Amino acid sequence: MTDAPGKGALRRLTDWVNGEREPKDQTLFVMEKRRLSRPEPTETEHAQRERSRLHRFLRWYPAAAVLICLVLSGALLCAVLALPAFGDDDAPIHNEVAEHYLEYTREETGAANAVTGMILTYRGFDTLGESCVLFLAVSCVMLLLRREDRGADDREEQKLLQEDAIARERPDRILQSVARILTPFLLLFALYVLLGGENSPGGGFSGGTILGCGLILYAAAFGHDAISRWFSQRVYAAVRTFGLLLYAGLYGYYIFLGANGLPCAFRLSLAIDLAVGLVVACTVYGFFSLFQRGEI
Amino acid sequence: MIALEYILLAGLLATAVAAPLCRRLLNTVIVYLAFSVIMAVLWSLLQSPDLAITEAAVGAGISGILFFLTLRRIHALKGTRDD
Repeated sequence: MTDAPGKGALRRLTDWVNGEREPKDQTLFVMEKRRLSRPEPTETEHAQRERSRLHRFLRWYPAAAVLICLVLSGALLCAVLALPAFGDDDAPIHNEVAEHYLEYTREETGAANAVTGMILTYRGFDTLGESCVLFLAVSCVMLLLRREDRGADDREEQKLLQEDAIARERPDRILQSVARILTPFLLLFALYVLLGGENSPGGGFSGGTILGCGLILYAAAFGHDAISRWFSQRVYAAVRTFGLLLYAGLYGYYIFLGANGLPCAFRLSLAIDLAVGLVVACTVYGFFSLFQRGEI
Repeated sequence: MIALEYILLAGLLATAVAAPLCRRLLNTVIVYLAFSVIMAVLWSLLQSPDLAITEAAVGAGISGILFFLTLRRIHALKGTRDD
């Protein structure tokens, strides 16, 4: 299509972003006017064809699924057969890298739990990428599932309001009593796992998940209003972004220290654990809230 | 301990085979959650408590909630107000 004079590609793009329709292409116009060589299928014919296609698909689908599963399992089992024996001295993993990790984790990262030291600092890029993936996943779910504010005539919103009214009138006694007792302990345990990840099993991912579970239990038992009083959308966005930025900043600091051979001034893996935990907890709670109500 | 491990492995296989064979999606999800619980116990028997905690929290907790919410959203749960 030829551009109108004085109207560059950038201008056309901004117009398109702003919602302006493109001027109609003449060739398309001609194509539309042309008589169809085959008559358009009627509604029933179309439905019939779709149904037969679905039947054919459903007949082949289980067989294909089983076949693909078997092939993949076979491939993985072949890979297992090719592994060196358990505890073999000559296995390729027994080199100086693993030795170095086990010997110097305490000194270099301050974490007594070698697993935590490894995933948060030695292989921190990996974990940073995972945190970014979680952040992006929540953003995508938000884009797809967030309810738009369409006023009181929205059917979905009506239904939600109705459900809220029912929940207020007849609260679930069992769920509420259990949640009242369990939530504080759940949050405490989450903090324990989160902060104790340095020295014992646990860490950012598991602790953050338990923290998110506690929030979900609270929200499910006492309703969305109760939790959004102190955990509103703005707080949620702030915590989520703060977690990711904190991790990125701390890891940049760690790389700087490592490159210059400087000692670490504070307990780095504890702080990184906390950052990862915040991101994971927000992800888990965000999924729940967006799937259930379409809002945070 | 070894006997317990074999029993758990058998349960793992049974749930893994049963999950796709369930007729209702809700049952599939519940069997899948049972798989996760067995897996968490097995991880702790295999002396990897980090994985056990994560498996119990993510596999048996969060993914179950998300599956149930998804089923509700696509109106596949019978007996709810959505029906």
